Amino acid sequence: MIAVMKAKIIKKVFSGLVALVIATAFIFLGLWQLHRASDLKAEQAKSAQVSTDVHQLTDLASPTVALDSRNVGKIVKVSGHYIASYKAPNQADLDGVVNDWEIALLQVGISDSTDSSILVVRGLWSDRLKEPQLAMSNLVEVTGTLQPHQNEDRAENAPGVISRLDSSVIVGQNPGELFDGFIATTNEVALGEDVVRTRVLPAKPVSLIGGFYWQHISYVVIWWLMAAITLYLPFYRRKTQ
Amino acid sequence: MSSPVFRFRVMAILAGVMSLLLWFVDLPVAYLFNNEDWKSKVEWIPFVHGWIYAVYVLTALQFSVKAKWPLSKVLFLILAGTLPIASLVAERRVVKQYS
Repeated sequence: MIAVMKAKIIKKVFSGLVALVIATAFIFLGLWQLHRASDLKAEQAKSAQVSTDVHQLTDLASPTVALDSRNVGKIVKVSGHYIASYKAPNQADLDGVVNDWEIALLQVGISDSTDSSILVVRGLWSDRLKEPQLAMSNLVEVTGTLQPHQNEDRAENAPGVISRLDSSVIVGQNPGELFDGFIATTNEVALGEDVVRTRVLPAKPVSLIGGFYWQHISYVVIWWLMAAITLYLPFYRRKTQ
Repeated sequence: MSSPVFRFRVMAILAGVMSLLLWFVDLPVAYLFNNEDWKSKVEWIPFVHGWIYAVYVLTALQFSVKAKWPLSKVLFLILAGTLPIASLVAERRVVKQYS
């Protein structure tokens, strides 16, 4: 009799512990979604802010290092030489207009020993011949916004064509180290004069945190509801028995 | 008992429809097709499904507790809202048994 009661108590304690573990897991899943919701809100608030400060590229980014998401959208200024040019087909601008863009690889001399380069969106591919041609020897000063690399291809890779704005696509084709991300040019100065041409503003990058704020909150509600149900179920079973 | 059954039926049908949309419209568009325009048109689906499922769980719990269903059936009913046609199947079974 005592052994039976003891077994029953052990069973109850065990099932109670299991319920507690599962409920704790659900609570943490809810907390995870809550953090995602607040991260999403912070990211949206940050992208709404427009800073007009101009930074040196090397103050915000380093070659071969992933671009810090906090620096996306900031205005940078950098000088260097264009060492390669690419056509980037099917690129959508901020208004959703799809066009082929002219992309250049700007070599930036950071130190005597290492040359580093960053991709630069210069403008529409169709406008590339309307401006005075820049030689590789011309020093160009570029001002623009720092953008994260694209993840999805817009075209097939081919000689002279870049499938997406991502320096990893051209690793091996050029000497030196490459910066992550790219610069969407708003102004270029070469040979002491502004280069006048139509500039393009890339579409807003897709957030790494998917969904909406209230969608994540709904998942918080569901996970915590599951936690409450898990804690309730052992009592429910006892009542029906 | 009729009110909990009615509430459960309504939410089971809504959750079933939303699950179908989630599995066969939203997920293929989000992960199989590379079309931002389509993505923006279906991004409401997981949002609505999330809230409908939360209400569905409450109605399923209320109904199954009142019906004094066994634990395994209660769990099935709760999980049925996550699969495309499971909540619709559950709704048909409940109608058969309680109507």
